[in-house]
Amino acid sequence: MLDLSSVYTLRMKHKSVYIIDDDSITIFGLRKLLAKVSEDLLIQEFNNGKSALDAILLLRENKQALPEVIFLDINMPIMDGWTFLEEFLKLSGIPSTTIKIVTSSIDIRDRKKWESYANTSKHQIDFITKPIYELDLADMTNLHKVS
Amino acid sequence: MKAIGTHVYDYLVQQLPQPIALINTNFELVTASRAWKDYFEKANQSVIGNTILKLWDTTGSTLWEKQLRKSFNGHIESGIQYWTSEEGRERWCKWTTTPWRDANENILGAILKVEDVSDQMEQEAKYEKLESLLRDQSEITKVGIWEYHIDTDQLSWSEMTKKIHEVPLDFVPSVETGINFYKQGHSRNTIAMLIHNGIHRGIAWNEKLQVVTAKGNERWVIAAGKPLYQNNKITRLVGTFQDVTQQVAQEIKTRESEQLLRTLVDNLPLNVFIKDLESRKVLVNKAECDYLGVDDPNAVLGKSDFDLYENDIAQISRDEDLQVIKTQQPILGKRTIGVKKNGNSTPFLTSKIPWLNLKGESKGIIGISVDISEIVQKENQLKDLINVTAIQNKKLINFAHIVSHNLRSHTANFAMLLDILVKEKEDVEKERILEMLGEASDNLMGTLENLNEVIDISTNVNLERKSLNLNEQITKVMQNLSAILQQNHGKVVNEISDQVHVKAVPAYLESILFNLLTNAVRYRHPDRTPEITLTSRWEKEHTIFSIKDNGLGIDLSRYGNKLFGMYKTFHNNKDARGIGLYITKNQIEAMGGTIMACSEVNVGSVFSVYFKNEA
Repeated sequence: MLDLSSVYTLRMKHKSVYIIDDDSITIFGLRKLLAKVSEDLLIQEFNNGKSALDAILLLRENKQALPEVIFLDINMPIMDGWTFLEEFLKLSGIPSTTIKIVTSSIDIRDRKKWESYANTSKHQIDFITKPIYELDLADMTNLHKVS
Repeated sequence: MKAIGTHVYDYLVQQLPQPIALINTNFELVTASRAWKDYFEKANQSVIGNTILKLWDTTGSTLWEKQLRKSFNGHIESGIQYWTSEEGRERWCKWTTTPWRDANENILGAILKVEDVSDQMEQEAKYEKLESLLRDQSEITKVGIWEYHIDTDQLSWSEMTKKIHEVPLDFVPSVETGINFYKQGHSRNTIAMLIHNGIHRGIAWNEKLQVVTAKGNERWVIAAGKPLYQNNKITRLVGTFQDVTQQVAQEIKTRESEQLLRTLVDNLPLNVFIKDLESRKVLVNKAECDYLGVDDPNAVLGKSDFDLYENDIAQISRDEDLQVIKTQQPILGKRTIGVKKNGNSTPFLTSKIPWLNLKGESKGIIGISVDISEIVQKENQLKDLINVTAIQNKKLINFAHIVSHNLRSHTANFAMLLDILVKEKEDVEKERILEMLGEASDNLMGTLENLNEVIDISTNVNLERKSLNLNEQITKVMQNLSAILQQNHGKVVNEISDQVHVKAVPAYLESILFNLLTNAVRYRHPDRTPEITLTSRWEKEHTIFSIKDNGLGIDLSRYGNKLFGMYKTFHNNKDARGIGLYITKNQIEAMGGTIMACSEVNVGSVFSVYFKNEA
């Protein structure tokens, strides 16, 4: 995991991407796929919602650039994906962000939950069901557009 | 003439024993007997020479003068005259006038004879009055009279007796025809015997019997008879004959409707009771008797709810009664509970209806209740079933979710890693991917083992629970944990008495104790050595085991609903699998118990396990 000073120095050059997931294999896979999309990415990992939220709060306080894309797992210890999303959506002074919920769940309730968030938020919230073989063109354009 | 005759007549007339007077053709009193003078007393009617015209009243009447004149012409006259004496006494007087002749048949005047009939007249009036009264009464009560002369064998019936028999008024009855009017069988046999006994043994009777009238109508009568004696010999039978058909019909009708009502009320599959203003039972049906455990309704009549039920229940019932009595509004279909003195309780659906008199005033209440024990039992079974189903359903959904998520996540990882592996060209990277595949495989195995454990508990709901000594079990588990406790300088204070037993499945109890003790050490606070206190207490339905630690604590307001969920972890602890408390909870619930948690962040947690005492 990179420390915050390095984030700051690389900020101007790289687009910031957060992966919030406690499964190392998923993180490995996502990194592989992201590398194919762009080499100009600063990828940060968090293994639960709480640590990611803390990082975001610190960035906001220091008026530093926030992540443009967040890959978010649902089932995690300490703070799960839904709780993170709820806390994140409550935050003020956050520019429009793309949040990609990455889950292996095929539970209809998870999908319903996502829909209700997606429909009411100013942020772009997507729902990706694992396995992911590649990140599609839309994901990439979105990344470039934000940058 | 006057002088000569006077002496002779005087002497003779004066001695006559009856009130008699001689009157000349001038209507003057010539002479009168002493009895006359006594009868008219000192009045001027008896003064010789006075006019007789004013005998009855002072004004004199022309009719009286005419009648006297007729006698002067040779006729005998008579009549009854009403007059009032000087003292104001009312008198009835019967008089006769006869011509008074001399030896040559010359009429000299009239002989006036009077007789006081006041008493007779009075008797007659009384008699007439009585007779008419009797007639009226007989008409109203339909009581006829009859009389039988034994020596002449003559039977006479009064008008009413004939009317009751529906025979013409000129009908002449005899004992034989009379008896034949009685209905064949019991009635006729009875009357024949009664008459016989009356004549020969002097026994009176009074019997309700049936007759068939001349027109063929059946009637109920009360026949009464009584012998009359003359010179110690029975000479006559007299009696009454009363038509009571209507009363009997009414009586029968009343009895029949009473019987109908009683049969209906007794055979209703409902408890029926009527209570007075003091809530005392006035009527109870068979079902109510059965419920109260008595054969005879009299055993509970007059008793109040306070005599039959528990005080609290009786008071509730009394309050309901008073409400109905006061408002005259019924209570319908209310769920009540009857708790008898012996503690037996029965659920009822009760209605209480105001019982009013004809003036519309409250007389009490009419109660109807249905024993709904079976319904309530079914209801409870259904509720239990719904609860169990709801819990099972929740578990199932939870489990499905876990399966869908966890198994899918592993397979998704396999798919992804394999995809990457195929596309990868660098050997070092390939090596790394293969390592990851191995890791994914281990994870999958672990998950499958966890799921297996959960399924084991859920399918073994009926595992036999044994009474286990709690401390023995704790000691056994502690031996396995001694290494980890020593390593962390943990201290366990056991305040549980050696006598405490819990009913549990041995393997489950071991697992539960292991999990809770492990958690207490695992989530210790970094700033202090772990201190764990074990206690137990006993309640009517449960034996409770509590384990208290001074560890990290959990924010229950935040995680409370997820604490016992599967794959829920709350601390950044690499050993946390999120399965221990889930399994613990499942094991406890499989044994009919519950688990509860209290916790404060940075202070510690208390977990309490409720073991069911009953089998």
